[in-house]
Amino acid sequence: MSLEGRERRRYELDDRGFDEVPVKYRKYYRRLEGPGDQLAPNELLCPVCKVVIRSTRELREGDRLYCMACLTRLRVVAGPAGLEGVVEYT
Amino acid sequence: MSGPGQDLHALPPHEFFEHVHSFEFWLGSVEGYLAGRPYGHREQLAEPAFSEAERDRLVTVLCHYCLGETMALEGAGGLIRSAPNRPSKVFLATQTVDEGRHLEVLVHRLAELGVADPEAEIERRASPELARFRERLLALVNAGDWAAALFAQNVILEAAEFAVFHRHAKSADPITREVLLGIIKDERRHLGFGENELGRRLARAPALRERLRAVKGELDPHVLASFSHTLTLLGTPAAERGELGRDYLAAVERLGFA
Repeated sequence: MSLEGRERRRYELDDRGFDEVPVKYRKYYRRLEGPGDQLAPNELLCPVCKVVIRSTRELREGDRLYCMACLTRLRVVAGPAGLEGVVEYT
Repeated sequence: MSGPGQDLHALPPHEFFEHVHSFEFWLGSVEGYLAGRPYGHREQLAEPAFSEAERDRLVTVLCHYCLGETMALEGAGGLIRSAPNRPSKVFLATQTVDEGRHLEVLVHRLAELGVADPEAEIERRASPELARFRERLLALVNAGDWAAALFAQNVILEAAEFAVFHRHAKSADPITREVLLGIIKDERRHLGFGENELGRRLARAPALRERLRAVKGELDPHVLASFSHTLTLLGTPAAERGELGRDYLAAVERLGFA
């Protein structure tokens, strides 16, 4: 079955100690832990501030995410190395 | 804003925009990393044993940072008047507080390093290139040129500081590192605010791009020369400088200024 036809995997988010946003939003973010850090299917790197954004569901092209650390809205697009975030100036 | 169980990423854009530009959001954000850190670092961190040359280089670098933060404080406060709407004015009020704190913790760090008269030392050691950047930035702010001043301050200056502070934090002594990491956390918001506000404006008024390109052309040499001077003092290898330059340029490239 193609990725698009398959139901999205859901994720329970936990607090990873990201202290730059109010407590109730901390679970949506984590820091990038160096070059060996692999992003999970529900995670995206913010191109503006380099924070990892987390979602409760597996990400797909066209999704929208918010980076609260830098006040930015992102659109998920397919890039050469996987999913990437493009800033939406809305 | 969002209630329990509501997915943050499912919020309507206007709700997100309103919330992240509020004082309430700012307070909840800074509380997490400033509480228990008077002057930007935990009190129990021990001062390392610097050689005289190492201490002298660090004092010069911190003097550069102090001048950068002074202009950011003057710039952010001055921009409130010309900001086009309430959320931007409120955000700039929070940024002004952030910049004031940055200046205070950096001056305090100079005092911890034994600098008896930090103000005089900043005046004596600060980069002349940064001083020229400050003159130009404040001219744009005083002229009420919202887009150009915001571009100079929240994109060019903040992106350069973000890249340099990141690099410095990697090799700094534990106290300076903690001070810098606290500043970097604030600067994520400042960078994002500038890029998003200008991105929206450029989408509505593409003709603005040429004017901002001219501002970039005028200010880039000053910021890049100062950038290079600071990286030399930090002993940053040439290969790494290219990477830092790319980080700085990425923000302006996203706005369409290659």
